Amino acid sequence: MSGLTWLEVVLRAVAVLAAFLVLPLLVGQTEHKVMAHMQGRLGPMYAGGFHGWAQLLADGIKFVQKEDVVPARADRSAFRLAPGVALVPYLVALAVIPLAPGVVGAKVDASALLVLAVIGVGIIGTLMAGWASANKYSLLGAMRAAAQLVSYELPMVLVVASVALAAGTLSLVGIAQAWTPWWLLWQLPGALVFFVAGLAELQRVPFDMPVADSEIVFGPYTEYTGLRFAFFLLAEYAGIVVMALLFAVLFLGGWAGPWAATVGWLWTLLKGLVLAVVVIWFRVSWPRLREDQLQRLAWVWLVPIALLQLAVTAVGVVMMR
Amino acid sequence: MTGNLDRPDPDDLERPVVDLSPPGGAPSKVKGGEPDGGRGGSGLSGILPGIVQGLATTARTMTRHTHTAEYPDVRPQLPPRSRGVIALLDENCTSCMLCARECPDWCIYIDSHKEELPPTTEGGRARQRNVLDRFAIDYSLCMYCGICVEVCPFDALFWSPEFEYAELDIHDLLHEKPRLSQWMATVPAPPALDPGSADPAEVTAAAKPARPARPVRGERAPGPGRPSRPPRADPQQTPPVPPADGDV
Amino acid sequence: MTTRDIVFVVVGVITALSGLLAVSTRHVVHAALWLLVCLGSLAGCYIVLGQELVGIVQLLVYVGAIVVLVLFALMLTRAPIGPQPDIDAPVWQRVVAALLGAATTALVAAATLPVIGQQSVDLDTPVVTTQQIASAIFGTWVWPFELLSVLLLVALVGAFAVSRVVLARRSRS
Ligand code: SF4
Ligand code: SF4
Repeated sequence: MSGLTWLEVVLRAVAVLAAFLVLPLLVGQTEHKVMAHMQGRLGPMYAGGFHGWAQLLADGIKFVQKEDVVPARADRSAFRLAPGVALVPYLVALAVIPLAPGVVGAKVDASALLVLAVIGVGIIGTLMAGWASANKYSLLGAMRAAAQLVSYELPMVLVVASVALAAGTLSLVGIAQAWTPWWLLWQLPGALVFFVAGLAELQRVPFDMPVADSEIVFGPYTEYTGLRFAFFLLAEYAGIVVMALLFAVLFLGGWAGPWAATVGWLWTLLKGLVLAVVVIWFRVSWPRLREDQLQRLAWVWLVPIALLQLAVTAVGVVMMR
Repeated sequence: MTGNLDRPDPDDLERPVVDLSPPGGAPSKVKGGEPDGGRGGSGLSGILPGIVQGLATTARTMTRHTHTAEYPDVRPQLPPRSRGVIALLDENCTSCMLCARECPDWCIYIDSHKEELPPTTEGGRARQRNVLDRFAIDYSLCMYCGICVEVCPFDALFWSPEFEYAELDIHDLLHEKPRLSQWMATVPAPPALDPGSADPAEVTAAAKPARPARPVRGERAPGPGRPSRPPRADPQQTPPVPPADGDV
Repeated sequence: MTTRDIVFVVVGVITALSGLLAVSTRHVVHAALWLLVCLGSLAGCYIVLGQELVGIVQLLVYVGAIVVLVLFALMLTRAPIGPQPDIDAPVWQRVVAALLGAATTALVAAATLPVIGQQSVDLDTPVVTTQQIASAIFGTWVWPFELLSVLLLVALVGAFAVSRVVLARRSRS
């Protein structure tokens, strides 16, 4: 924080906040449209005039107008606080993910570690929401979410350790700078594990048991209305943004591409967007896993693959030195 | 990667596999029927193509034309028998109350009174007839079962495909006789008879040898009525309801 | 007082207060949540003091994993909403706990303050980087580190064995 003036700090904070509010909406709108076309529909067409571009703004206005209901038996303070707890970690994560060497909200030495840490904190919002709602479906959803996070955090940390090892640094900027196309092959198993684990942490299809509507209504968010519900949705889409950008930076070289010096940040965003579309694509195409299948996938496949990747990376690093 | 997720229980594998294929037909595709019992490798070969197929299907759909009808801008092409709203041809109604009684929701309200018709011939007997005062259907209760239309013995109720009568207040969905009669204009003609079908009852009746003439009583003027059925469908002609175009 | 001082005092007070609340509240889950605030703001303390890595690891391990597990276990077993009178401690226990806490604080202060003395560190130019910590752990302290990891591995294998043995015994009987 030393070299920054107050003005710069404020400007950076505003920029991160703007990205935090715009990028998830962008992903959400993409989801509306891509999902619709994958299902032979058009999706929103009217809000805003041109292909429904303002649909999510309209949704937001609708959410603001709705009554904020807290169930009578709920734990009021925890219930009210939960959406914030779910939202803030992704804001922090977005602040330290670099779009290009200079384009980053806050420069942190061990940013890769920080992102992992705060993503893990996000689950507490879900747990609080599920418990405080005084609703058994909510509680079940929270349990599922926590169980899912606990088992998928491990492979994720392991593969991030693998890329950090390969790059020799814990800083996201450093990792992306150390990236070479050869990593696409070398770190491929790790990338796959990261993607699957990221999907699971985001509770996206096919790992959306915590919010499985056919089983437990809407899991931890069942009792939420209005703005607080919107915050949870925003957290979900911010999560997609964070995961997609993180994947782009860790495994796809971030800003690596033609004219990286000038339009590097665009490359990062573009790679992130492609990944977000893949996330949406999976949601449209695949059914939901069962809870035990999910645990099995994590412990029988992902953790061993991640460990193997770590070993392969270590061997590679030693050989190349 | 996701190979073993649906591996069947070991117990399942011991059970004989039921062969669902017809005798002499293709070998059974029942899972577990493969040589290695759906374990490991074959599980992988079962799941991986499956998930890739899912992705391929959605991707293919994305490149195709969508099926969405943008309703307020584009009028929907409704099939002729759509159940939009029930129209009343009030001069046919005899206030027999059958529809009101059969309606599962009891949402048809009928008021009527009896009227004395003077005798048409000298020294004849005065006749009575029902005059329909009120006929109302509460569309906030109606479940569009169509029983009233089916049960009316005098062809006074018809389905109309008209559906744009939403209201902001639920009480405004109770529609009275004038409104119900207005919808008569939107009732489509009945579809043409199938080639080779029997003649409709009224045609058969008309073809019967005429009965000895009876004095004609006050004949009704032909009202707006319902559109008449087109002549029998030409077998070469396309069926009246073309299937929705586009890929199915 | 610099900004850093103020931030440190604020974060420190939050840490202390939430720690106090964690042990004094009668809501089981609230206690866990206060613990979360306490551990989280402790991470904040580390970061204010210029030790980013320690702070992040604190966040990753304690907040992101351990408290989540605590909450998870609590909610799986027994976590009613509202205060629970039966987890209330009698007055003498509170007094003893307060005394013990104060004594521990005094002991730690007495042991560390003379060592630190009047030394001061310039926090604006970080002296310990992630790289240095790494080389310390994997250079100077590699044997304790390895020993600890073996310990954890043993615990892991033990837990696995216990659960398997119990399961096997259950299925046999
Ligand atoms: S359609 Fe069914 S519910 Fe509606 S008025 Fe007729 S009989 Fe009643
Ligand atoms: S069944 Fe037909 S004729 Fe009888 S009251 Fe109803 S609409 Fe009129």
